[in-house]
Amino acid sequence: MTPQQLIDTPDLIAAGVAGDEVRRRMHGTKTTFNRVFEVHVDAPPAALPARVNAGEFRIVGKPSTLDALTAAVRATAALAGEVPVTVFSVFDLLSLPQSIRVVAAAIKEAGASALVHLPIDRVENAELVAQDVRAADLIILSLGVDDLDDNNRLALCEMAGTLQSRAGGFKAFAPLPRKMSVTKPTTGYDDVRMVALARVVAQNIESIQVDWALYGPKLAQVALTVGANDLDNVAAEDPGVLGTRRSPLEEVKRNITAASLEPAERDGLFNPR
Amino acid sequence: MKNIDEISARVREGDRIDRDEALDLYLHAPTALLGELADRVRARKHPARIVSYIIDRNVNYTNVCVARCNFCAFYRPVGSMEGYVLGFEEIFRKIDETIELGGGQLLLQGGHNPDLPLEWYEDLFRAVKARYPDFRLHALSPPEVIHITRMSRLTVPQVIERLVAAGLDSIPGGGAEILVDRVRKLLNCYNKATADEWLDVMRHAHRAGLRTTATMMYGHVESVDERLEHMFRLRDLQDEMGGFTAFITWSYQPEHTELGGFEATGLEYLHTLAIARIVLDNFDNLQASWVTQGGKVGQLSLAFGANDMGSVMIEENVVRAAGASYCMDETEIVRNIESAGFTPKRRNMHYEILGDPVFRERDVPRMLELAVARAEGDDSRPPEIVRYAARSAQEKKLRS
Repeated sequence: MTPQQLIDTPDLIAAGVAGDEVRRRMHGTKTTFNRVFEVHVDAPPAALPARVNAGEFRIVGKPSTLDALTAAVRATAALAGEVPVTVFSVFDLLSLPQSIRVVAAAIKEAGASALVHLPIDRVENAELVAQDVRAADLIILSLGVDDLDDNNRLALCEMAGTLQSRAGGFKAFAPLPRKMSVTKPTTGYDDVRMVALARVVAQNIESIQVDWALYGPKLAQVALTVGANDLDNVAAEDPGVLGTRRSPLEEVKRNITAASLEPAERDGLFNPR
Repeated sequence: MKNIDEISARVREGDRIDRDEALDLYLHAPTALLGELADRVRARKHPARIVSYIIDRNVNYTNVCVARCNFCAFYRPVGSMEGYVLGFEEIFRKIDETIELGGGQLLLQGGHNPDLPLEWYEDLFRAVKARYPDFRLHALSPPEVIHITRMSRLTVPQVIERLVAAGLDSIPGGGAEILVDRVRKLLNCYNKATADEWLDVMRHAHRAGLRTTATMMYGHVESVDERLEHMFRLRDLQDEMGGFTAFITWSYQPEHTELGGFEATGLEYLHTLAIARIVLDNFDNLQASWVTQGGKVGQLSLAFGANDMGSVMIEENVVRAAGASYCMDETEIVRNIESAGFTPKRRNMHYEILGDPVFRERDVPRMLELAVARAEGDDSRPPEIVRYAARSAQEKKLRS
């Protein structure tokens, strides 16, 4: 099935099988997931909340200044200990007056290990941005998409593959859009096709990723059977009052196992935990 | 165990499979194969690629219930400050809103309220039909009918006859849960209706000329084999009576329930739906349960055997109480049907096609959230309630 056929076919099952075949050839049944503790750039906590067990501390939100950002990175790194600290997203950092190379160097010095999410539909000159970040001895872990329409699906998947060929170093591609219209969200068919398409087209990127918190367990689980092999942004809370069986960790493991796949926890840098 | 390939070949040929074969498929067939087989069955029954939906409103006339099913987060015990009964005027207002949105039916279900006698239902139905002669009442699931028989000391056929005379048009398949008494005892719903009683109400309804739906709520305490027992009991009754229009399955919603636990996964829903499409070869229609699975998996149901997107609903209270609060208005349902490559058509409860989407013929306001039975803080009591004899001590005390 060609990528265009994959987009056009009314046979969703066949599209899913195409994505799954590539996924299984690359990863077998292994399915990675990452528990993330999010810290807003404007409000890093003074102390770590109880029952947090994270593989990544992720700073989110648009920073007002570079100083505010580096302060948040330092505060978070102090809490995180050995756990990687990342900054989300590259697009937000591009709004700062400093160059991306200067920003990357500053947050590296402050304690960040990587940047997360380069939205290829929004960042112009993504290849140059990736090279500048790498020049500051920092990596961008994942490519992603903020907005998606019916006409740019294949182009975005091809762009992700091309960017990997030219710039390299990206561990994952998250093809499902992060922005969702309230009145016209992507449909289940859209999402399945996009995941399968991404897996088939961008085979030089190791992982196809779905955001667990953003897309929810049901769609994320289905995505694992049509090309995705990595679940990002699982809540980092250990069992609370609802008990172990209802903890985020058990829920994600249960969903992976119920898809006849094998769960494997990783950290924010894609190392096994 | 038979070879999955052999069983699959038989399904592709249009042969009926038995329970052991269904169990083998359910437990061992991969997701894609289940989807392919279910889609073949759907395509045989609906070759024109039409996916239907209905514009109706899901109204729960009372949440007061003596059944106390442990999987239910909606009910309130008799005497609860949070208990309610909707008044006739309130129900008329809901009908007006439904008609405004292009709907022609209420799905009317509620708790087993001991202070609502048969006459209350008869008066309500007559009043609705007097005001809205063409409006349809898809009302009172089998356990509600049984509850009324117990209160009125009439037989099931007698109660159905009186309700039909008052205006009942069809019976929804709620309250089936899993039609295995071991399961029903564990769910504390054996007393509201045994498996045989549920099926018997449907048998009598079909004999009376009513069409009904059938449902299955899975993912709580039952085994996979018991899900199949449920499906095969429905298939047998359909062979006998032919009165079911559709089958609807959904996963147990655990939030705020006494039973607790966790929800079955999205893939388990798609597998269960696909198996139902294969097993229930004498059912014409399978609905997608977007209200429990969300719009995305709801739409994916169309690739796993469903040919109907269910109802626009307008209002929902029961599933919401257990943690699920999805919404799809007509515009969104139609968009999802078309995006999956099907042709959307409006239908009535008998699955007769009524026409194209209403919103393409005239302006219809978008609906991004389902309504609820009544506004928060509204503790009013309907004035007509005092016309009916109170049966519970709490209600008698309240009136005195």
